[in-house]
Amino acid sequence: MADMLNIRAINLAMSFIYACLFAFYLAHMPVFFVGVLALLCVWNFYLTLTNKAKPNGWLANILAGFALILMIYTLGMGDTVILFVAMLLLSSIFKLLQAKTKKHYHVIVTLTFFSISSAYLFNQSILTTLSMSALFLLNFAVLSLIESKHSLKLASKQSAKLLFIALPLAVFLLLFLPKMPAFWQLPGPKLAKTGLSEQVDPFDIAKLSNSDELVFRVRFDSPPPVSPYYWRALVHDTFDGNAWKTSDLLKFNNKTTEPIKQLSVTNSYTIIAEPANQKWLYGLNYATSNNKYVDSNALGLLRKKQYQAKSLQYQVSNSPLSTEQLSDWQINYYTRLNNKTNSQAQQLANTLKERSRSDKDFYDTLLNYFATKGFSYTLTPDLMTGNNTIDQFLFEKQRGFCGHYASAAAYMFRAAGIPARLVSGYLGAEKNQANNYLSVRQYDAHAWVEVYINDQWQIFDATAVVAPERLNGSLSQNEELNDEFKSNLDFGLVSLSNFAAINWLRLKLETLDYQWTSWVLGFDEEKQSNFLKSLFGSKNIWLVPLGVVLFLITSFSAYFIYLNWPRNNTKQPPLVNELESLNKWAKKMNIAAPVHYSPNQLLAHYAQQKPQAAQHLNEFSQLFNQVRYAKKPFTKDRKTQAKDLIKLIKSSK
Amino acid sequence: MQSTVTAIIDDLSSVIFGKKQQIKLALTCLFSEGHLLIEDLPGMGKTTLSHALAAVLGLSYQRIQFTSDLLPADILGTNVFNASEHTFTFHKGPIFSQVVLADEINRAGPKTQSALLEAMEEQQVTVDGKKYALPTPFFVIATQNPLYQSGTYPLPESQLDRFLMRISLGFPPKEAEKQLILNIKPRDYTQLPQRINSQQLTDIQNLISKVIISSPVIDYIIELVTHTRQSAAFAGSLSPRASMALAKAAKSWAFIESRDFVTPEDVQAVFASVCQHRLGLHNESGESQVNEILKTVAVPI
Repeated sequence: MADMLNIRAINLAMSFIYACLFAFYLAHMPVFFVGVLALLCVWNFYLTLTNKAKPNGWLANILAGFALILMIYTLGMGDTVILFVAMLLLSSIFKLLQAKTKKHYHVIVTLTFFSISSAYLFNQSILTTLSMSALFLLNFAVLSLIESKHSLKLASKQSAKLLFIALPLAVFLLLFLPKMPAFWQLPGPKLAKTGLSEQVDPFDIAKLSNSDELVFRVRFDSPPPVSPYYWRALVHDTFDGNAWKTSDLLKFNNKTTEPIKQLSVTNSYTIIAEPANQKWLYGLNYATSNNKYVDSNALGLLRKKQYQAKSLQYQVSNSPLSTEQLSDWQINYYTRLNNKTNSQAQQLANTLKERSRSDKDFYDTLLNYFATKGFSYTLTPDLMTGNNTIDQFLFEKQRGFCGHYASAAAYMFRAAGIPARLVSGYLGAEKNQANNYLSVRQYDAHAWVEVYINDQWQIFDATAVVAPERLNGSLSQNEELNDEFKSNLDFGLVSLSNFAAINWLRLKLETLDYQWTSWVLGFDEEKQSNFLKSLFGSKNIWLVPLGVVLFLITSFSAYFIYLNWPRNNTKQPPLVNELESLNKWAKKMNIAAPVHYSPNQLLAHYAQQKPQAAQHLNEFSQLFNQVRYAKKPFTKDRKTQAKDLIKLIKSSK
Repeated sequence: MQSTVTAIIDDLSSVIFGKKQQIKLALTCLFSEGHLLIEDLPGMGKTTLSHALAAVLGLSYQRIQFTSDLLPADILGTNVFNASEHTFTFHKGPIFSQVVLADEINRAGPKTQSALLEAMEEQQVTVDGKKYALPTPFFVIATQNPLYQSGTYPLPESQLDRFLMRISLGFPPKEAEKQLILNIKPRDYTQLPQRINSQQLTDIQNLISKVIISSPVIDYIIELVTHTRQSAAFAGSLSPRASMALAKAAKSWAFIESRDFVTPEDVQAVFASVCQHRLGLHNESGESQVNEILKTVAVPI
């Protein structure tokens, strides 16, 4: 212990860093496990504040054993990334609880650099980046505290200064150093997010778990198409009596049977998808992308090739939904139903079918049915159970959200022998005026029906007639459902968007986050190469490596020269040079004074010998006292005054 | 506050003629919360000065005449058996006073002298294992006769070190003595007005603690004490306690001189009084030796 002076500050700072980290991981790990880690952290705080001894190795080992069991019990062995991070945090906090020597603290600081960085596996937002950078800085300060006697404040200041100097170099390297593809891919952490699922069974949901979490953002290269925007993510083609599922046929791992058709592109745009644990991506109509991390399939759906911990930016080309003829087996496939249930609905479908002259007529009749039979839109529907949930919905409850309408409508189409499938994705988007991009959030999640009429897939959305305002803009901008929507929402800035100031702040923050995601997180090989090309032109791109090497050599040599430059460290304190010049003057005037005289006595002595300069000498003496003994700052005024006085003294005859 | 200080100095000067410098030094010592030792021949006004100081500063005052048969209990007080209640009650000695004049301290035996030690250092006394706090502020003004006089016990170095300053009044200047002979009587110290009270004294002490002492001045103090440590000319050398006392006294001196910062001249002004007795020098020869130090050590700029 004795070899470190700052042990208290170091312990407090390290405990603080881990307290912050645990607060961060609360969102990503089981609360119970993080709580135990936090307790260990509090214990370290307590021991430090009360100057008590740290637990001995025996006790710590037993506790660590228990903690390890708890970790495996609460986290399981499934997700190796989380397990690795939890292990890192656990070992660091136990090491901190035992640390006594310099060497221990060196180990902890090193571990902490990894612990802090691991936060980026889970979140890369600006807020995370800023807070983790602050922790990084603190960790650097602790590193310097281990070896020095500085106060924590001074150490933080100095490490901030060093990091600040290093920042331009880091930015330079980020911009110019060749971006290598990752050597290995980290298994994606399981991000717990609400939203779409591969199975749609709206009837067992009593309340939509709405979240204002961002799902993706869209930037159109050209003027955007007119709304409504139906962002397709998943197609559910199989109905099992209650729920709509995505059949294996449509899953991407067995490559699709349908060939990808030749496209007539109507639109193209960039989507920045937030990190999520699902593989599906989003696009309008029939979407294709040539991004190397994105797969396109025959239904015009996009999917990630592999899990990505960071947000994914991809370019999408759009074309109209399929117009080609369905084969017989496909027609058969898209009209399959479980015939034993929902007999009332089947009956209704048959009745309506008989009444209508064509498929198109049935489409209109069904839409009309939803519009006129007293259906209403709600985010908090009643729970419907049993085997005939569609009957219950159509004839008893008649209150529901998009999933209910889509499910019922798709069922009716199939019952009438018209090919139909349920599509889930997102409807609408919120427009950010300043940056001309659209943002889509979890609460915009929507389900609708695609129905095959006249050799063409068409959108059928019963929600559109029950709650037409749902089609325009985002759900958050819907006035009628506003109260219900907001009461349903988890607490967040969106739920406070009635207040103009908060809404303004929210939009500003979103813009900032958009820039961050698009420019910092999304700065990939493609963006880099575009950036370099715009800087040097495509022809001179070979200059880049040369420039980088030259720049690095120059800056490092400059720094080396700066460090070794001989410096005049013995800078004289203020007014001493002036006093010495007066002494020289006195010598020239043949005024001798005893060596032990203090500056004031010396000046008084000169004044005695040179009465004509007495007044100025006296003034200089007062000035000297103020600056040297009264610690008054040596301002520009005082400097000028001193110079003037010396001139006057020297010129006095 | 400065006008009050000037008034105090004027009052004291009207009691003791021609000794303004010594009066200022005595005040410096009390403002620095230090104990004062006055060494002189009898009849030079030592007692008068201490009386007068207590009077103008508005402090309670006790005089103890030290003699060879004085016992510690005579100073500190003693437990007396109360026969009716069958208990011991503590009877406070004369030391329980804000200003204690220990007159002719070196006439008492070492045991009695050392009874003062705890009081001066810790501002408390211990009798029969029980501690009693002394009043605040607490000053000891001790007078001592020159050591060559008969019946004196020299104060040990450790005790001398407890005194912040030692001053000597010395013979009055000719003009003052002339006035005395002409029967122009100095003012009676009992007639002096009380200029401040102990609260105001504390205020002054707080102000003094804020007087600026810059690093060239501190360097000067260190040069001075280092010189005494390296020189073989002195019986003792200056301890860190001495350099702190020097800084403190210089601050008080600067305050009395109406400045809020210390100059090397302030250090020079108090140097002899603060350091002479710690260096084992006596008044007669000491003066020139201490001045020699000031002449040898250059003032850092």
